[in-house]
This record gives sequence, structure tokens and C-alpha cells, in this order.
Amino acid sequence: MIRIGHLYKSFGEVSVLKDISIEYRQGECNMIIGASGSGKTVLLKTLIGLMEPDSGTVTFNGQDISKLPYSEKKRFRQNIGVLFQNSALFDFATVLENVMFPMDFFTDWTYRQKVERARYCLERVNVSGNDKKYPGELSGGMQKRVGIARAIALNPSYLICDEPNSGLDPETSILIDRLIHGLTREFGMTTVINTHDMNSILEIGDNIGFLHKGRMLWQGDRHTIFSTDCQELRQFVCANSLARNIMEKEYGGTPTV
Amino acid sequence: MLRKFFIQTGQYFLFLRIVFKKPEKWRIFWRQFFVEADKLIVSSVVLVSVISLFIGGVLVIQTASNMQNPFLDRMLVGYMVRESLILEFCSTMVALILAGKIGSNIASELGSMRITEQVDAIEMMGVNSASFLVLPKILSATLLSPLLVLLSFCLGILGGWLVVYMTSIIPLAKYVAGLKYCFTDFYVFYSCFKMSFFCFLIASISAFKGYYASGGALGVGRSSTKSIVISCILILMFDLVITQLMLY
Repeated sequence: MIRIGHLYKSFGEVSVLKDISIEYRQGECNMIIGASGSGKTVLLKTLIGLMEPDSGTVTFNGQDISKLPYSEKKRFRQNIGVLFQNSALFDFATVLENVMFPMDFFTDWTYRQKVERARYCLERVNVSGNDKKYPGELSGGMQKRVGIARAIALNPSYLICDEPNSGLDPETSILIDRLIHGLTREFGMTTVINTHDMNSILEIGDNIGFLHKGRMLWQGDRHTIFSTDCQELRQFVCANSLARNIMEKEYGGTPTV
Repeated sequence: MLRKFFIQTGQYFLFLRIVFKKPEKWRIFWRQFFVEADKLIVSSVVLVSVISLFIGGVLVIQTASNMQNPFLDRMLVGYMVRESLILEFCSTMVALILAGKIGSNIASELGSMRITEQVDAIEMMGVNSASFLVLPKILSATLLSPLLVLLSFCLGILGGWLVVYMTSIIPLAKYVAGLKYCFTDFYVFYSCFKMSFFCFLIASISAFKGYYASGGALGVGRSSTKSIVISCILILMFDLVITQLMLY
């Protein structure tokens, strides 16, 4: 479980995160949603320790990583798999080497064992047979899958995904969502996904937090999102025509977008 | 302006402190060391060779045309060419050329990795990204660059020899005698030392600029340009300092 308590973050005069408190549960797809510029990425980067909060706490199973010394923070990070927005695969390495990268550093496995594990991860995300290709030779969807394979290579307890659907067509997008959802359930990970994609939210949003202008205005799940009273969230949801239709038919009335 | 200079200098030394940490795994470090050696030093061999060969030839012609006085022994042309090559060209001039090639390579590579979040990805895995990415670059450039000095010196001499042989601008025997005249082996060490130091500056400054690049593709280009400019200025400044310390 990840718990965020009274988190504040600002850049100079601009306050980006204001009093964020939320819990992310194990074995669920926890989502941070909100419009562009609402502070989603800053919240995610603060969560994984790439940015220091001004105040507040981030605890992983009760452990506050912001207070850990650098060496222990480094060790702790081995337990967190991260899928970056543009996959962040290493250009200098092949697909197989990308997935083997964390194993090279943190395991004493033989080369054969590492290759076996990497091939298993690649197979699990349906990109086997591309071992010797470089990231530049792969499509966006395949890059995301390789990114996921690399993130789960060391069997982490936490999976953090920054906009996993950005730049993908709807079909691939849904496949990636289901893959993340399936892996979360299969490995019992605590998954946090940062997205503004309504399809993803409706497909796999087990626990959703709506961020608006740096404040967490609403928390619920994909079943309760349409019945919300939060006007900002209704506006966000109704920007998607499919969601607008559902809201109009089943819950009556939509806000002006 | 002055405040920014001091902040940047402080950040540079803090960056070096992160870089010069014990590598996570020596086996991976050595693998990266040889990859970088190939990328930075071996790939510069052709450029350095071509430039040295031509500069050696040009130096012979220029020196000979400026030593027309009959009281000056023609042997001195060979001597002057050798001294010019070893004292200044093979280290400082080659370093300035490498500042463009190696410096832009390092800054743009690291800058691109930074803006595409590859550096963050390494850091998130619990790996010291600065040490993993930068240390092999700095060490391979610093430790192996003297080989380029030696190569440049030999090819510069050869370039001069070819010009003398083909044009008979001075007797070949005089050129060879000049090359052997009063040879000071300390100058070879001095030149190699200078080159090592300059390559340390090039690699570390370019890595610093690239590692902290921001602002998309434009930012990467800017950091690459800045790293070359700063490296060139520092090379010339430290050329003066090292020469004063070691030769006088």
C-alpha cells in the first residue's frame, strides 16, 4: 500500500500540489486523473522520489522513502517498476538488453538465467521474437510493452505508469490497459497509473483520484465516476463523447464543456 | 552573471562527486569503459590522423619558407617542426578539435537521454546514473587520449617527411637530422599529460552540460554548444597554466 499524506509541492511562486492525501491499494489499478497541467506528473514524480516534496509524506507499506538516506533509497527503488510516458527504453541497448538491464545490476544470476527471465517477461507482454531489435525499430505500442517487461523484470511490489496510453491508437491502448491490469492482479502489485484517457479510466480504474489545479477533488472508482457531484470532474468526464452519452442517458444532464 | 558562474562551478564539482563513486558492478563498468573507448578514442583516430598528416606537411613548408637566411642550418626546419608538433599541436590543437567531436558527442548523447527520461529510468532502477553513464566516458577519454598524442606526433612527422620527400624543399637528410637533434623526452610526457588533462575537461564539462540539459531538442543543442565553447576556453587557459608550471 502507498499512502500520501498532506503533500505540498511548488516551483517558485507556483504551487503545483496542494494538500494531497490519498491511499493506493495493493492488487488494484490506482489512477491519478486530471487535465493537462493539473499536477499529475509532478505528483507521480514526487511519489517515486524523483522530486522532493515541500512538505508531507509518501509511505510505501509504512516506510517513508523521502526520509531514507540515498543508498537505502536506491535499494528501495529496486522494488518499484516504472513505465515512463515515452517508454524511456535505452537507445544503446537491444530489446533483450533493455529488459536484462536491472538484472545485470541487482542479481547474481548467470547470463542464461537472465536471458530466460527477460524472455519470460517479453513473452508475458506479447513481444517475444524481437530480442535483437533496437527500440528505434519498434512501434510505439511495442515500446510500451518492452517498457512494461523491463519494469516487471525484478518482480517489483509497485508498478508506476506515467500516461501508458499516450500516442497509442485506441485498440493498442486497451491492450496495454488490460495487460497492466492483468499483471497487477497476477503479481499482486500496487499499481499507480497517471492518465487522462477516459477509455483507460473506464476499463481498469479500480481506485481513481481526480486532480484539479493541484488539489485532489474526488476519489472513487470507475463505477461511481458518473454519479459524482464534483462539477470539475463531470466537466472532465464529459469532454469524452462516449462518457457524455452515458452520463446523459443514465445520470441525466451534463455540464457545459 | 558572476553569481551564475559560481553556482555552475559549484554544481560541476558536486556532479563530479556523484560521478566518482564506486561503480555498482565492476564488470559492467569495464564493459562500458571499452564501449566508450571505442566511441570516443578509436573513432577519433581517422580524424586525428588526417589532420596531423596535413599539418605536419604544412608546418614543413611554412617553417622552411620562413628560414631562408643562409646562416641558418636547414636542419633546423626538422627541429622546429618536431618541437611545434610535440609542444603544441599534438596536444592543444588536437584537444581543441576533440572538444568539438567528443564534447558534442557526450553532451548530445546525455542530453537526449535526459529529455527522453532514460536517465530517470536508470535512476529509478536504483542505479547511480551519473556514475554509470559518465564515469566510463571520463576515464576512457582521460586515460587513452595520450595514445592520440603519440599517433598525431608520428603522423605529423610523417606528413612533414612526405612533403620534404616529394618537394625537396630541404634535403631529406637535413630534415631527419633535425628531427633527431636535441630530443627531450620530457616533452612527450608533457604533451601526453596536457592531452589527458584537456580530455578530462572536455569529457567532464560536456557530461555535466548534457546530464543537466533541459528544454527539449533545443536545450540539447544549447548544452552541446555551451560544452564545446567552455571546453575550448578552458583548454587554452589551462594550456598556459600547465606550460608555465611544467616548462619554466
